[in-house]
Amino acid sequence: MRPVSSPVLELDGVTAGYGRAPVLVDLSLRLAAGELTAVVGPNGAGKTTLVRLALGLLRPQRGTVRLFGTDVTRFRDWSRVGYVPQRAETSSTLPMSVDEVVRSGLAGQLRGLRRLTSHHRERVEHVLDVMDLQAVRRQRVTTLSGGQQQRALIARALVTSPGLLFLDEPTTGIDASAKVALREALEHLVGVEGISVVYISHDPEGAAGLAARTLEVRDGVVREVRPSALSGL
Amino acid sequence: MQRALVAVTVIAAVAGVGLALLTGVEPVLGALALTVVAALALARMSGRQGGDLPLALLFYGGIAAGFLLTARAGGGQTAVLGLLFGSPFNLSWRQVGVVVVLAGLVVLVVAAVYRQLVAMAFDEPSARVAGIPTSGLSLALTVLVALVVVAGMSTVGLLLISALLVVPVAAAAQLAGSYRATLAIASATGAVSALVGLSASYYADLAPGAAVVVTAIGLYALAGLAAGVRGRLAVRP
Repeated sequence: MRPVSSPVLELDGVTAGYGRAPVLVDLSLRLAAGELTAVVGPNGAGKTTLVRLALGLLRPQRGTVRLFGTDVTRFRDWSRVGYVPQRAETSSTLPMSVDEVVRSGLAGQLRGLRRLTSHHRERVEHVLDVMDLQAVRRQRVTTLSGGQQQRALIARALVTSPGLLFLDEPTTGIDASAKVALREALEHLVGVEGISVVYISHDPEGAAGLAARTLEVRDGVVREVRPSALSGL
Repeated sequence: MQRALVAVTVIAAVAGVGLALLTGVEPVLGALALTVVAALALARMSGRQGGDLPLALLFYGGIAAGFLLTARAGGGQTAVLGLLFGSPFNLSWRQVGVVVVLAGLVVLVVAAVYRQLVAMAFDEPSARVAGIPTSGLSLALTVLVALVVVAGMSTVGLLLISALLVVPVAAAAQLAGSYRATLAIASATGAVSALVGLSASYYADLAPGAAVVVTAIGLYALAGLAAGVRGRLAVRP
């Protein structure tokens, strides 16, 4: 794979999995700052394992994982990393407004009785603007459409001004117009705000035209491919 | 998991009081200690073994231990029934003081970790990635539930305190548009249930704990009705 400068994420000789059978084998990878990297592959290929490794939720059996140059086991500045799950684990009956969901992204920074600063409030307003959520900010998040819920999750991940954003299957369950809105938002995040985005999807078309690099995960091996070379995922 | 936690905490409190009676410790402390131990055991056992088996083991084990220990300590059926159904009109000022202190402690802890609780309630993996110590927070939540159960033990009783943990929140969730509003409406529902239930109990000679819970369920039904009416009005052009 081609070398990149100022990597936001590095994996060196990583083997990882659950139990004895490794899901990813001897993986080395570097992701550059300010790029969108698509990670594609069929379900069960190891994409989620890759994300869990990068987020420190899974320890590698061999090798090292570094975020912004720091070993992930010693990494503490989690406000620099945003994570958007495929679907939040929230109950459909949990009454939480869009505003509260977005502000909950600041919970890692605001311990104890510390209040939101003016900077935090400005940031909340900014991400609600960027994600086009101002009109629904007082509504319960579970009453929104799939696309709006997805944007609320992204807004929450963006509220700490991360340098690296992970999107896990962002187009699952959303309609065509929501996909277009998501695409425009990603163009803004990468092109204007300079955020590095890791876009994980089983659908190779999702990030076509946006991704600076496309990595295919298949049978525990990751290789860089041209989107046109992908088929049968 | 949270529902299992409430059930196990309630039953562990019975065993805790039995243990306290046997050893001469303050019943509130015995109940608090065993509820925390049981909740931690549930979390550990559930991690290793899925399904309802950990819940069943702790639930029935707690009931059995509670009755064995209470009987061994010389507490008769009256003592056990007092724990199960409470006796709010016979509280000493010392017991009232304990309830007030525990309630204050719960409010303080919730205020201190409010944002982290909201983040964890919404999505635990994301909260973990955001640097929130979710394991520690779960432990804090466990201790909070234990505190509430212990505080409610001498008022509505162990059997009905779990209803008061669930019903006011369920009522509030039908009306509130946010987590903060849910907390406020649930607290108000709990307070109104207690006030109306105890008044009815005093003047109509009803079982106090049962009257409080029946009032709470009545408020839940009213909240459902109000939410239904609001929904119909909202869709009308």
